[in-house]
Amino acid sequence: MTESTTHGPRNSSDDYDHLVPLFEEFVGLAEDDPRRAELRDELVTGHLPLAEHIAQRFSGRGVAKEDLEQVARVGLINAVDRFDPGRGTDFLSFAVPTVMGEVRRHFRDTGWIIRVPRRLKELHLSINNASTQLSQHLGRAPTPSEIAEHLGLSPEEVYEGLEAGNAYHSMSLDEVLSGDTENLALGDTLGEDDAALEGVENHETLQPLVRELPERERKILALRFVHNMTQSQIAERIGISQMHVSRLLARTLAKLRDGLAEERPDQES
Amino acid sequence: MTETQPPTHEVGAQDDIELRLGANLVHLPVIRSVAASIAMRADFDLDAIADLRLAVDEACSTLITRAEPGSTMVCRFTIDDAELRFSGAVVSSAGEAPSTASFGWRVLTTLADSASSWIEPGAHNGQRNWVHIELAKRKPAFT
Repeated sequence: MTESTTHGPRNSSDDYDHLVPLFEEFVGLAEDDPRRAELRDELVTGHLPLAEHIAQRFSGRGVAKEDLEQVARVGLINAVDRFDPGRGTDFLSFAVPTVMGEVRRHFRDTGWIIRVPRRLKELHLSINNASTQLSQHLGRAPTPSEIAEHLGLSPEEVYEGLEAGNAYHSMSLDEVLSGDTENLALGDTLGEDDAALEGVENHETLQPLVRELPERERKILALRFVHNMTQSQIAERIGISQMHVSRLLARTLAKLRDGLAEERPDQES
Repeated sequence: MTETQPPTHEVGAQDDIELRLGANLVHLPVIRSVAASIAMRADFDLDAIADLRLAVDEACSTLITRAEPGSTMVCRFTIDDAELRFSGAVVSSAGEAPSTASFGWRVLTTLADSASSWIEPGAHNGQRNWVHIELAKRKPAFT
């Protein structure tokens, strides 16, 4: 654990610096001290932008924004209650994973947001597992017929399961579940991958967009488009499934496209 | 005959699939699903299916953002033993084919085995052109 890493998003410490001394006082007080409740309110209120910011990161995945904010606030309250300044970490490093954990749990509990029949979910999951196993065995991504053979299913069933995966594309439970806490750390290989994009004509516009991407998305983008690795290879490297890589890539590309499109008017002039 | 009518190619092989839809980004999910479905049924491997999906997505959004408002996009999928080819075209007031130096093109050429774009002067209206993008994904050969 390095203490020097940034707390991710720009909002970082300066906005909350004035709250730091309050924690010292807060933990020193007895449980029933009325001043304690006051301080707790102040700490929670003061850090609300952090909860909102995290809620926002998870928005657009099929859960209402208000619900996410609610859940993030609960996470924040837990973080304030559990934080121990004596441990040597600062509050933000502690609070961010705590709040994100709370939001993730919410996604896990609410499950697939679009109703997909249970049979299809299970089918999709078993195809996903088979695909990972077969990739390792074959050294490349399997074809639907290989998956069918492996699972003892008909090709039609495999098609159906693969399509169910696409239906669940937009709210992607798995991307919420697999750890992206590390997104908040700054990338170290950034410079090298940036350089690879320099030949691209719109790279001045592109670069800031790429920098804004979460760490893992940026890494996947670089592995696919700079290092030319296949999705299965990336999946293995990052430790998620190929289908998950595929979804993340699709989303990343759409995001970059939107960002670049905003710039288009002055490109044409 | 209006100039928003897509170019009509000769009717292709029996297995060719053609889609005509409004040149609007809301239709992207349909097109990529069709692309993925064709590749899946042709038993492409999962990497190739996913790449094709993304490539078609990229090609179509490039076309749609250049299309005349309210016009139609035509997409055609052609498959043979060796590869799956996608070609798309829209009517556009743009005078040039999409740049091959853009990030989007880089994405396309990484995902597909080949890609090209060109412009074809519109037959009915000198101001409007057809913008074409064509790409191909080879069927990986396993032994």
